[in-house]
Amino acid sequence: MKSFAYVSARDVPTAVSAIAGSPNAKFLGGGTNLVDLMRGNIEQPDTIVDITRLPLTGVDLLPDGGVRIGALVRNSHLAAHPLIRSRYPVLSQAILLGASAQLRNMATVGGNLLQRTRCLYFYDTAAACNKRAPGSGCDAIGGFNRNHAILGVSDNCLATHPSDMCVALAMLDATVEVESTRGVRRIPMNEFHVLPGDTPHVETSLAADELVTAVELPSVAVAANSRYRKVRDRASYAFALVSVAAALEVTGTTVTQVRLALGGVSAKPWRATKAEEVLLGAPATEESFRQAAAAELAAATARPGNEFKIGLAERTIVAVLRELVTKGDAA
Amino acid sequence: MIIGKPLDRVDGPAKVTGAAKYAADQHIPGLTHAVLVTSAIARGKIIRIDTGQAARSPGVLSVITHHNGPRFAYQPPKHPWIYGQTHVPLQNDVIYHSGQIVAVVIADTLERARYAATLIQIDYAVETPEISVEANLDKAFIPERGPFNLRYEYRRGDAHGALATAPVRVSGRYRTSMQHHNPMEPTATTAVWDGDHLTLYETTQALAFTRQKTAEMLGVDQKQVRVVSPYLGGGFGAKGYVWPHTFITAAIARSLGRPVKLVLTRAQSYTMHGHRAETVQELSVGATRDGTITAFVHSAVSQTSMLNEVSWEEMDATTQLYACPNAELTRRVVRLNLGTPTPMRAPLSVGGYALESIMDELSHATGVNPLELRLRNYSTHNPENPSQPWGTGKFLRDCYELGAKLFDWPHRLPRPRSTRRDGGWIGVGMATAFHPTYVSAATVSIRMDADGKALVRSATQDIGTGTYTIVTQTVADALGVPAKSVRFELGDTNFAPSAPSIGSRTAASVGTAAHHAGSALKDKVIAIAVADHRSPLYGIPAAQVTAADGQLFHRLDPRRRETYADVLRRHGPVDSEAVWPAAPGISRSYGAVFAEVTVDDATGEVRVTRLVGAFDIGRVLNAKTARSQAIGGMIWGLGTALTEHTIVDEHLGRILTANLSGYLVPVEADVPDVDIAFVDKADPAASDIGAKGVGELASNGATAAIANAVCHATGRRVRDLPITPDKLL
Repeated sequence: MKSFAYVSARDVPTAVSAIAGSPNAKFLGGGTNLVDLMRGNIEQPDTIVDITRLPLTGVDLLPDGGVRIGALVRNSHLAAHPLIRSRYPVLSQAILLGASAQLRNMATVGGNLLQRTRCLYFYDTAAACNKRAPGSGCDAIGGFNRNHAILGVSDNCLATHPSDMCVALAMLDATVEVESTRGVRRIPMNEFHVLPGDTPHVETSLAADELVTAVELPSVAVAANSRYRKVRDRASYAFALVSVAAALEVTGTTVTQVRLALGGVSAKPWRATKAEEVLLGAPATEESFRQAAAAELAAATARPGNEFKIGLAERTIVAVLRELVTKGDAA
Repeated sequence: MIIGKPLDRVDGPAKVTGAAKYAADQHIPGLTHAVLVTSAIARGKIIRIDTGQAARSPGVLSVITHHNGPRFAYQPPKHPWIYGQTHVPLQNDVIYHSGQIVAVVIADTLERARYAATLIQIDYAVETPEISVEANLDKAFIPERGPFNLRYEYRRGDAHGALATAPVRVSGRYRTSMQHHNPMEPTATTAVWDGDHLTLYETTQALAFTRQKTAEMLGVDQKQVRVVSPYLGGGFGAKGYVWPHTFITAAIARSLGRPVKLVLTRAQSYTMHGHRAETVQELSVGATRDGTITAFVHSAVSQTSMLNEVSWEEMDATTQLYACPNAELTRRVVRLNLGTPTPMRAPLSVGGYALESIMDELSHATGVNPLELRLRNYSTHNPENPSQPWGTGKFLRDCYELGAKLFDWPHRLPRPRSTRRDGGWIGVGMATAFHPTYVSAATVSIRMDADGKALVRSATQDIGTGTYTIVTQTVADALGVPAKSVRFELGDTNFAPSAPSIGSRTAASVGTAAHHAGSALKDKVIAIAVADHRSPLYGIPAAQVTAADGQLFHRLDPRRRETYADVLRRHGPVDSEAVWPAAPGISRSYGAVFAEVTVDDATGEVRVTRLVGAFDIGRVLNAKTARSQAIGGMIWGLGTALTEHTIVDEHLGRILTANLSGYLVPVEADVPDVDIAFVDKADPAASDIGAKGVGELASNGATAAIANAVCHATGRRVRDLPITPDKLL
């Protein structure tokens, strides 16, 4: 680990001014990812601005029925919050299927949004990685890419975004509120993370001097019938091969509302808009679910190592939708 | 009797309160800290290594590379046992594998050493590494047997002929993965010189090996080396042999004139002390239509390293477990640019996986129930030596019965893909567990003081298995005193020499020596008492005196009695010592493992929902520690079956999963309640106390039982471990 300056911020204005003058500064929240990366010399900030004392820890009901979540709310706290459990079960489930209990107790909402990929080559400084060292190449492309992306990939990077929480947020059309010395800005969740293209080291639309202060969830009635399913190599403490966040309303036999997002398949939480289009107004049948899944995955590009993810994503989408039909009936 | 009882670990309080001092916990005045720099490439040469910046970094005392590396008095041969590997790092510019030691930084604090290590700049001439077993099968060769006398070829009868004429033939090609031991306690060495004498605080499963080989490398007499290792947080084979980081640390401490501590990082533990080799196995079985086996032909290829010829993945289960007149076994190796493999709990387990899988395939082919098939081919004599009956060394039938009853095996539906529950297919499978266990010379000394308390000592190890506890129980019973009157100290070469804790030998070897030392001490005290006119036992024939609860008494007139303390207060301390066995021995442990799995229909995820193991380990010395070992072993088998796989980049030769997030050891959520039963019949042929080994045995069986259950659930046979979801889609 390289030496760095440590600044502790007491309020948001102090925090954002502390980082404004330091292009190579980082905010420290739960530290569950950043500290690991610093120990591995992958992140080498010269200044750490500790934001854990900022008053961004509320989970509050908004007048329009939405919920505002402070950026420093711990993952475990959010997952257990009655507002989240009752109105957005998908979000609670997604968080609880991520990391381990110890990590969730430390990790913050803002940090979860900004966590880096778990691509094994990104973590190995002896390997080429365009995300870690722009222009150095990508050893994952011809290497071990079983865990890598199949949607929105580029010839420069196959990395996935590792968050479970973000997949649920993408499905829920959350908004990320950010602040800098220039003021407050609101970024729709689905525009917050960006695809790798030619600049895989750029992972979000957040400017270098901006601080995530909150996430807002709109009121989403259909979210009451929602589900997060994570497929992985062991039962806990493993990243998703594929994950699916879905919410479904069926009236009679017709899909009248649907939301779908995928994890483990792209550099961003993948909102499955093509599948949603196919499903909306379609009969709530296995056949429709298959068609919708196939429509979403039609654009997938796989390597031999991760080709299975296409079929796995399709099957998982179908299984989750099927389950939501059954659950909706029961309710 | 205390033996057999589920006595709590006597070292438990020290461990949970932090009072137990492990190898890296020693506070030594003037201690310095070493940090290793390892090779970024897997094959080639170092053409430049710039240590200038590191050497000038604050707190740095020394930077060692191949230019100024320690020179040693000995070069381990290509069959390096009991060294871990032949290659001695820091001697030249050649790179044999990624993660090889290329520099060492020593500083006054760990943080400063770690930081300075990042400042070393190395340029390499890179060559294309050989990484794949599959791609090198044509270069596979049969190694020499070496001093360990590993067996690579075996034949009896005419296996190919019998296979060709067998009415039923089944063949399978099985692949098992490279795996790592991952003990929780990181490997550590602290080297402290006092003049010409070295004390090593070391994570070792074998004090004597560490002492002998460190002395040999450093060119000093063994008597000048003391090795201390009172507690070990697991080893599983990784700490069994002597690896370079140990003698390099000792050599640096000598030249620096300061004590040096080295603790391997988790990532470094993937390249510094071996791993389980990847294997590709072809196994064929021939049988009559009723399932009577007539032939086994088993050939295996596993990885070895560039300078070593060794394969620890023994496959003797194929030739020793079932009655079968014709058998052939051939094991070959290929050289790869990876570290040297070493035994990992347990050497027979990947061969056993193939054997117990082909048994299941034979069951499908013949329609004979898997359990019945195994009983039909039960061996009462050693198939390799028909004049040798298994006798009291094999109660496998009891294991089958106990396990089948606990699991309710008879009520399974034989047809694959016949049971569904909650979106998944349910399957059950079983397998036999088989492993050799050993005994070799252990010495135990006891001193009883005037207070009647026994201090027991032996230079053995407790690798987490319960040695402290079972020896305490054994000695207490032999003396006829309560367990609290016995204190056992181990883990120091200043004590009487003992066996290494490898090959599941500690309980039987050290336990028996402890029993004899205890009995000898009791006899001595009785002899003193009956000869002492001040004793109430005076004049009684010694054979008529015995002891219980700390009291010596006349068998025929128990009112005539006095305590050990009474005798020793008059006489002074009494010592005894016993060595056992006189010659090394081998026996075999057995078990039957049953598994139930659910395979998710949509995603191919396998979850084990029930696991039952019934084991014949001879006499059970402590019901609790034995049960813990059995559960732990079965979880190892589960990991091999479903999750564990060291991933190596085939172009770079880098281990990509060198941490506990990337290398998937089963977590709590992967493990169902595990039911364990023991036959608990003594095997006097194995050891005088009737005990055999359990640690390695228990990691056999579960892998194949789970794989067989997956096949039963889905109708698909995955012959490539681990069975990850993608293989079942």
